Amino acid sequence: MDPLLKLDDFTMHYRTKAGWVQAVDGVTLSLARGQALGLVGESGCGKTSIAMSVMKLLPYNSKVVRGRILFEGRDIYSMTDGEVRKMRWKGVAMIFQAAMNSLNPVYRVGNQIVEAIVTHEPETSEEEAWARVRSLFELVGIPKERMYHYPHEYSGGMKQRAVIAMALACNPKMIIADEPTTALDVIVQDKILREMDQIRRKINMSMIYISHDVSVIAEVSDVVAVMYAGKLVELGQADDVFKRPRHPYTYALMRAYPSILGEKHELATIPGEPPNLLDPPSGCRFHPRCDRASAECSKADPMWREICPGHYCTCHNPVEIGGTWVGQVRSGKAADGGDQLGTSSNS
Amino acid sequence: MRGLSQNWAVFRESRIGMLGLIVILLFGVFGALWPIMINTVWDPLIYHPVVGFDPMLLHPSPPTKAHLLGTDPIGRDILAQLMFSTGREFLLGVLSALITVVIGTVIGTVAAYYGGFTDTFFMRVADIMMLFPFIPLLVVVGSMVRLTFFPFAIILGVLGGFGGITIILKAQALSVKVRPYIDAARVAGGSSFHIIRAHIIPNVLPLSFLYMMFNVTGAILSEATLSFFGVLNIDMSWGMMIHTAEAAGYLFDFGKYWWLWLPSGLAITLFCAAFYMVGRGLDEVVNPRLRKR
Amino acid sequence: MRRYVLSRLGQVILTLLIYITLVYFLLQAMPGDITQMYLANPKVPQAAREELRKQLGLDQGVVMQYLTYVKNFFRGELGVSFSHYPRPVWDILMERLPRTFVLFLTAHVLSFYVGYVMGRVIAWRRGRVVDYAATVVGITFWTAFYPLLALVLIWIFAYTLRLLPLNQFIEPKLWQGAPFSANTVFGYMVYGGGAVAIGLFLIFYAFLRGLKRTRRNVALAWLSGSVLVAVALLAASRAGLLVYIWDIVNHMVLPVCTLTLISFAGTMLLMRDSMLETVQEDYVMAAHAKGLPDTIVRDRYAARTAILPTVTSLVLSLASSMSGGLVTETMFSWPGLGQVLFHSALANDYPLATGALAFTGVFLLIAHFVADILYAVLDPRIAYTGQPAAEG
Ligand SMILES: Nc1ncnc2c1ncn2[C@@H]1O[C@H](COP(=O)(O)OP(=O)(O)OP(=O)(O)O)[C@@H](O)[C@H]1O
Ligand SMILES: [Mg+2]
Repeated sequence: MDPLLKLDDFTMHYRTKAGWVQAVDGVTLSLARGQALGLVGESGCGKTSIAMSVMKLLPYNSKVVRGRILFEGRDIYSMTDGEVRKMRWKGVAMIFQAAMNSLNPVYRVGNQIVEAIVTHEPETSEEEAWARVRSLFELVGIPKERMYHYPHEYSGGMKQRAVIAMALACNPKMIIADEPTTALDVIVQDKILREMDQIRRKINMSMIYISHDVSVIAEVSDVVAVMYAGKLVELGQADDVFKRPRHPYTYALMRAYPSILGEKHELATIPGEPPNLLDPPSGCRFHPRCDRASAECSKADPMWREICPGHYCTCHNPVEIGGTWVGQVRSGKAADGGDQLGTSSNS
Repeated sequence: MRGLSQNWAVFRESRIGMLGLIVILLFGVFGALWPIMINTVWDPLIYHPVVGFDPMLLHPSPPTKAHLLGTDPIGRDILAQLMFSTGREFLLGVLSALITVVIGTVIGTVAAYYGGFTDTFFMRVADIMMLFPFIPLLVVVGSMVRLTFFPFAIILGVLGGFGGITIILKAQALSVKVRPYIDAARVAGGSSFHIIRAHIIPNVLPLSFLYMMFNVTGAILSEATLSFFGVLNIDMSWGMMIHTAEAAGYLFDFGKYWWLWLPSGLAITLFCAAFYMVGRGLDEVVNPRLRKR
Repeated sequence: MRRYVLSRLGQVILTLLIYITLVYFLLQAMPGDITQMYLANPKVPQAAREELRKQLGLDQGVVMQYLTYVKNFFRGELGVSFSHYPRPVWDILMERLPRTFVLFLTAHVLSFYVGYVMGRVIAWRRGRVVDYAATVVGITFWTAFYPLLALVLIWIFAYTLRLLPLNQFIEPKLWQGAPFSANTVFGYMVYGGGAVAIGLFLIFYAFLRGLKRTRRNVALAWLSGSVLVAVALLAASRAGLLVYIWDIVNHMVLPVCTLTLISFAGTMLLMRDSMLETVQEDYVMAAHAKGLPDTIVRDRYAARTAILPTVTSLVLSLASSMSGGLVTETMFSWPGLGQVLFHSALANDYPLATGALAFTGVFLLIAHFVADILYAVLDPRIAYTGQPAAEG
């Protein structure tokens, strides 16, 4: 079956006074129906830019330089405005990074959800739409009389849930959740993540989770894509990537976060600064901060290659397998994960 | 604070602002011509804006070679009046706007810095001042004591100074006050006066300057309106020129005597619009959120 | 909400007191004390002067005089006009107030609406030709010299084109032998017009309330709206009022248009700036992401929240637009509050001038109060906290 979403060498730059910001550079990935992809990377590496590209919501100063984005096999950058509107929310819904601010302050929360429903399903009556809002609120755990309240009467966590309910309103084929929980405290964060994951499984929807927090991604994704300075550096099944990270950046990133299940390891920061995307380093963009960098790294851009089946990586000197076990990935994940390399490495 | 040249670069991108600036400069040149003309080409007996009279013509006379914009009902040259008034309008507008802005800036920063009673008091005063119908008030007052040029400019300035501008400037000063270097200066032993003068006021000034432009517009329009109604005791201004024509009954035949009202009317509108446009241009410098794109 | 309204009301009454006090002392401070001039005016007969002296409490101290003045003010005893002797000031003002009110309200609603719609369009089309053109034209009108603009419009539309009547409130010839007085007709007009406006609002609200606007509902709304207007017009013509109403309306067109022209740009420019900020808000982006049509995003998301600062500034500019009203009334000989103020000031009719000035303040305060309530209705966050919510 062809994938739901496919990015093909997608490259997008922003024009600024100082020059072109290479925010997304040659990203290739695909998302199957019902699959959850985690997109992880440091702040400013271009995660939101990818999300906005998929929604076709790029600001006026952006430019798609190269590549395509296919949704259900159709290039969204050659769609008409009407087609894009139809794709939005019915096809791809999004939970914005600033979820708190994505509710209109002067309309009741329920109204904003009903509005989305009746726009996309003209055959639905308003009463039916309100009934659906009621069940959505139940699903995400907000008391249903809250439908008639204004956003400022909600707490942060409730707004977050309301935004999730809104994303689910039109039964989209996929949802992009851009840091859906960063504004919340850890306990609520965890709870909402689990709930979202359950809902996703129940209705077999695809999902892209975006976060800079490895533990969040580890908890809910089937597939993980690691991004650094506008480029994908590693992509593979969550198990593979987290148990056997091959790119030095992934490895360093995992060491920078505490393991979600409480295994102890020393937290290590990544030395140096994230690169300036106006003028990224030559060769591998990570080489100035990499402890495995060789002479080659500053000269040649490493190839995007399948280092093991289903596990892609761009590195001249990938981390060897063995002794790299850091955290634990959630158990009981999708069966198709496939432990092609055996499990002998974690000791 | 960004440097002056950088601000200028941003301002230059605003077409509206540049348009306004050019018009103001043209007015400046026009006004500067007055002393030159009266001392060289023009005979003061004929061309004096207030007491001049040309005995060779019937008045009001339409434009002629000698009087490029004609003469008014009592035989004075319109162009000379227009030129002479330009300087006066600059003086009036800038003086009263300056008074407004100085008072507003001082009260705004002091209220923001000290807070408490000072703050509440001045903000309430501003609330009330904003509700005052000044023009009707000045019409009534003016009809009793004919205000002359300088008292009028000062009254306008002072009345404006306690009004809404203090609220705006206070908000700006508040946002400056919470910046870390203010605390640093306080810890380093700077006196309140020093901190307000050296740190807060410089950061409020761009906004003050912006409101000064809008206040110039307001002052000139007020003067013109009150002059037009004849409640001011000012010898010559653009508003007075129209008042003269109206009082002599020439505005009823509007199209026929166009030179009596059109030059001065256009001058008022252009001049005020120009200052307003410069204000809008400055707005983009001061308020980065308007600038994007 | 109730607490909010009450606290606003308290503020308004307090401000009114301060205002009246200021007006009183301002006139006291004038050279040639107002009361002396009053008493010296030859038009006022001897007996009336004695009466007045007592009424004004002139034999008492300054404080008592002031208190008497305030007491009289709240009782509606504003004295007797010189120039209209012996008409009480109160009667004159009560006759003029509705006319000013109608002119002011119509012009304000119109200019606010025009400014709102245009501001919304030019913000959405930022940097295009429409934006620059509307901005320059708007600023030109906004800073135009009122009296002159009024004269130009009179000259073009009334004098040269003869499309509209020249000045004034009514056409005297038409009203000779009319079965009604102008004030009666005007009263009918105000009440009738108000009722029709409320009816129209209710009809449109009832049919177009929901988020889905079906064709049928739109058609029904327009249909019943037209029926209502037709019925009202029919009733007026059966009562023989229609010609007279038409006359008054005709006389209103020019002043209303002038007032609208000079003031729409304020709302427009503010709306533009305010909307340039809201279009960058996340919920506008989210609305786009929801796949809502462009105009809905513009109107319900970007413009709807951008309107709030515009309403604030409307409140703040009420005072200055009152001055515009004064000038307009004088220029168009519209016999309202402003004209009375101006004439009485020039005629040294102090009781009337003071009364008119005080009533201008009262009028403004009421307008201010209404605008405040309107603001709270528009922004649900206000009634909740009593404060405008911080942006963002
Ligand atoms: N509109 C824009 N104009 C210019 N540069 C932009 C714009 N939006 C983003 N950028 C730049 O593009 C790069 C990627 O930004 P992006 O928002 O995609 O990062 P991110 O990975 O989502 O970061 P975070 O985790 O902080 O949300 C950053 O360097 C940012 O400064
Ligand atoms: Mg982001």
